[in-house]
This record gives sequence, structure tokens and C-alpha cells, in this order.
Amino acid sequence: MAYEGFRPDITPLDAPFWEALRRHELVVQQCDECGQLRFVPSERCHNCGSPSATWAPMSGDAIVYTFSIVHRAPTPAYQADAPYAIAYVELAEGPRMPARLVDVAPDAVEIGMPLEVVFDDVDDDLTLYRFRPRPADPKES
Amino acid sequence: MPEPGTFLLMAGLSDAAIAGVYVSEQGKLADREQPDLWWECVEGALADAGLGLRDLDGLIGPAPDGYGVRHALPASAVADVVGHPLRFHANTGVGAASQAAGVGLAALAVANGLAEVVVIPTAAAGSGAGYTAADRNAAVEHMAKLGSPFEAVMGTTRVADFAMVARRHMYEYGTTSEQLAEVAVAQRHSATLHPRAVMRDRGELTVDEVLASRLMAEPLHLLDCCLVNQGGGCVVVTSRARAADAGLHTPVVLLGWGEGHGYLDPNTAPELTSFSGRLAADTAFGLAGVTRDDIQVAGVSDHFTISVITELEDAGFCAKGEGGPFVDDGGIALDGHLPTNTHGGYLSGTHAASCALFTLIELVEQLRGEAGPRQVEGAELAFHCGVGGVSQAHYAAVLGRG
Repeated sequence: MAYEGFRPDITPLDAPFWEALRRHELVVQQCDECGQLRFVPSERCHNCGSPSATWAPMSGDAIVYTFSIVHRAPTPAYQADAPYAIAYVELAEGPRMPARLVDVAPDAVEIGMPLEVVFDDVDDDLTLYRFRPRPADPKES
Repeated sequence: MPEPGTFLLMAGLSDAAIAGVYVSEQGKLADREQPDLWWECVEGALADAGLGLRDLDGLIGPAPDGYGVRHALPASAVADVVGHPLRFHANTGVGAASQAAGVGLAALAVANGLAEVVVIPTAAAGSGAGYTAADRNAAVEHMAKLGSPFEAVMGTTRVADFAMVARRHMYEYGTTSEQLAEVAVAQRHSATLHPRAVMRDRGELTVDEVLASRLMAEPLHLLDCCLVNQGGGCVVVTSRARAADAGLHTPVVLLGWGEGHGYLDPNTAPELTSFSGRLAADTAFGLAGVTRDDIQVAGVSDHFTISVITELEDAGFCAKGEGGPFVDDGGIALDGHLPTNTHGGYLSGTHAASCALFTLIELVEQLRGEAGPRQVEGAELAFHCGVGGVSQAHYAAVLGRG
């Protein structure tokens, strides 16, 4: 079925982020001067002010920082998935990002829940990232 | 002649006064033309101040809807209609707080002689567009796309943005859905006492009714959310002397003013339960030279019930995390320890156009002693904070009787 959700307005600043998703990589900017990671994309490092940054791959491991279960979606295309979980996730490396959670019952979501990134090729031009619950590491159990 | 250097000193904010206010009918005004409503509001507020269109020489914000370059040159569009050039104009496009933000600029302009009579109108009517659209689905879709593209594609909504704030606040501080509902209950009662409130005739609410209303984005229910409606209003700022000479109402002055502009990016923001309202309020209280304890009545932007809790905390009326207990048991009701949004707020009063203006107008009526059955006894000092965005832009004012 054709993707009917919103499409991002891609700018030169954040194009590398969306291009990386096509390769199934989650990247954020890392300051070349001080090493600070940042998301959403910006023109300067908010820690040291440097304009120089490199897109750094993230592990994809994260936790739920906060979340909401959406019952009233923005458009009919999204409403077809409702109720669904929206979260700010905190990446293992530090940055937070908004995300849709998948493969989880809405009433099972809780703050601190371990997550892993998955990639959703919604059509030939657009890949979106999602997060799903991360199974416990068998070596730790 | 002033001493060298002194001419650079800014005249006192309180040399200007809010002399006129006006609130039109609120609700669904699809059968009205926006310019017609806009002029009704401007003329209404000028008349309230004992003034007329001939006196108007300053404008904050957009012109009434129209053709050609009217949109790009608002003050000239108004000059066309009133038949004389204006002396001052500023645009303050910061969402729901835009026009309330302009009240501070208008006071600075008048106090410094840039203009004598500045009007600050807002009006939404007709088919509308964006978040003022008469079509509720169109408004919801528009608002979902106001955030970053990273949010919108995930299927976030404006309700979900604030729901995530509420969830985090609950997690960090133990705030409950019942406490959020207390905000809606208190403000609904006030709305039943306001002649222009959208929910005036819808009766009282109970906490249980709020909790039983349908879920929009957990943990927020329908009755945790602001209205989607149209309507208009206007504020007139002139010199305190001129307002006093008119002798129609107690002039209301800005004793303090302050802004705070926080982060769009949730990664840069150190937390998601506290915003730049603290910065705005600290500046405003510092300039006014009064404390939080001196305030009898407040108005803060209440797009959602959680907003009132975080904004009152950030404004310093209680400690961070204590906003839940602060609003509990009627804490912000008309007979509570800090009556807040006593026109009903965006939840039950009106959420039309640049809606923080209506919250400010209510405080003017309170300080005039003209709030009728909603009157807070002994209201001498009021606090307002208009918020634009998802709690990013804050415009705080300490208001007093001039």
C-alpha cells in the first residue's frame, strides 16, 4: 500500500540524516572540535559553537525517555494505526529523538524500557526509523 | 535638555497603560468575514478607551485579511482605511502568544513617544486557515506539522507533544491525572460566569467527567485539551495620562515585562518538564520589584491542563514538581490561593486566533474591578505569561492598577 503519511521537507542541513536512513543507518552530528553529539541537525555545536561536524553512526540502542499513546491521529493515514505509541527516546550515546514505537502493545510501554532501532522502507524514496523493545541480552540473563 | 547619556534611558513601561479592551463573540464564526470581525474588535477596544479610529497611530501584528500587499504591509493597509499614516508597527509572530507579546512592545513604544494609541487586535473568522481553520480536521492536521519534520512523520500531534510532557512530569514528580483534571474543573467554573466563554452554557465539570472523556493522547483526555474555536479581541495601549484623563476605567499598567525563549530541540533542552517561563518571570518580577506572594490573580497559557502546572511552576508560584498539589482541591479556582485563567482559559473560555490576548484581557478586567461574578476580591497585582509553541516562547508581565 502506498505510503500516505507526511513526508519530511528535506534541507541541505539534514539531508545526510535521511540519506543514512536509506542505508539503514541512524546517524547524528558529532562536533569535530569537542565531540558533542547533537540531534536535531543544526549549524553550530551548542556546546562549543563550532560549525564543523561529522555524521556519526549510532548503535541504535535506546530507552524510552517519555511517551504517549496517540488515539486521535493527525490524518486518516495515521489514524489507521491508532492507538500507537510515540516517544522521545534517549539513545545509548546520549541524544534524544522523537520516534514511533513498534512491535509493542500500547499498555506495555513504560519509561526506561530498553529499545532498539529498526528501519521501515515506506516507499522507494523514504525510509523512517522506528524503535521496538530490545530483548534482554542472553549473556546478561 | 537631558544630561549627556540620559536620553538613551528607556522611559518606564508604566508610563503607558492598557486603556481599552474588547472581546467579540467566540465560537464558530464561519459565517463572518475576518476583516469585519477585526475592525469590530479594533473599534470596540478604542471605544472602551474613549478613543476612535482617528486616534489610532500604532499597530501590533497583521492587518485584516485582504488582497495584494496588504499582508506584507499591515500598517499601510490600516492607514488606507483610517485615512492617516501610522507612526508605529511591529510584528510578533510567536504563535498563540503573538499579540500578547506585542503588548510589551506597544507599552515601550508609547512610553518612549513613538506612538500614542497602539491597537493590538486578533481575529479568526470565516473559513480560516491553519490552526484557526473552521474545519477541525484541517486544524488538527496543520498543528501536527508545526513541529520538526522528524516529529511529524512519526505521527505526533500537538496533543501528543504535551502528553509526553505530562507523562514525564508524572514520572518525575508523581503528578496525577486527577490533578490535571482539577485545572479543567476550576477553569470551567469560571467560564460559566463569563458572557463570551465558549463553554459558558455547558455546565460545571467534575474530575470524574474529565477522566471519563475520551483519550486523545495518553495521558491527556479530550477535556484536558484546549478548545478549537474562532473569535476576536483587541487591546489598546496609550499613555497612562491619557488613559486617566478618559476616566472610563482604572488604567492598567505593565509594572514588569520579561521574555524567555527556550529550545526547539528536545536534545538541547536539558529536561522536558521545565521551560523558559522561569527566565521570563524572573525578569518581569525583577523589573516590577514585587514578589510572587504579591500576586492575587494569574493567567498562563493553558493549551492543555499540564501546561498550567508547568507554567505556574516555572513562573515560581510553587517549586518544580509541586504544581500538581498546587492546583489540587481548587487551588486555582476563583476562591483558591491563586485564581488562574478566570475567563475559562483556552480550555473552556476561548482558544481563538492569538489567544493569549484573551487571558491578558481577563486580567485587565480583574484589575479594573470589572470582572463581575468572576471578580477576585482585592485584585491589585496580576501575573500573565503568554506562551508560543510547545512551551518555547514565553512573555511574562506583571500588571497593576495605574
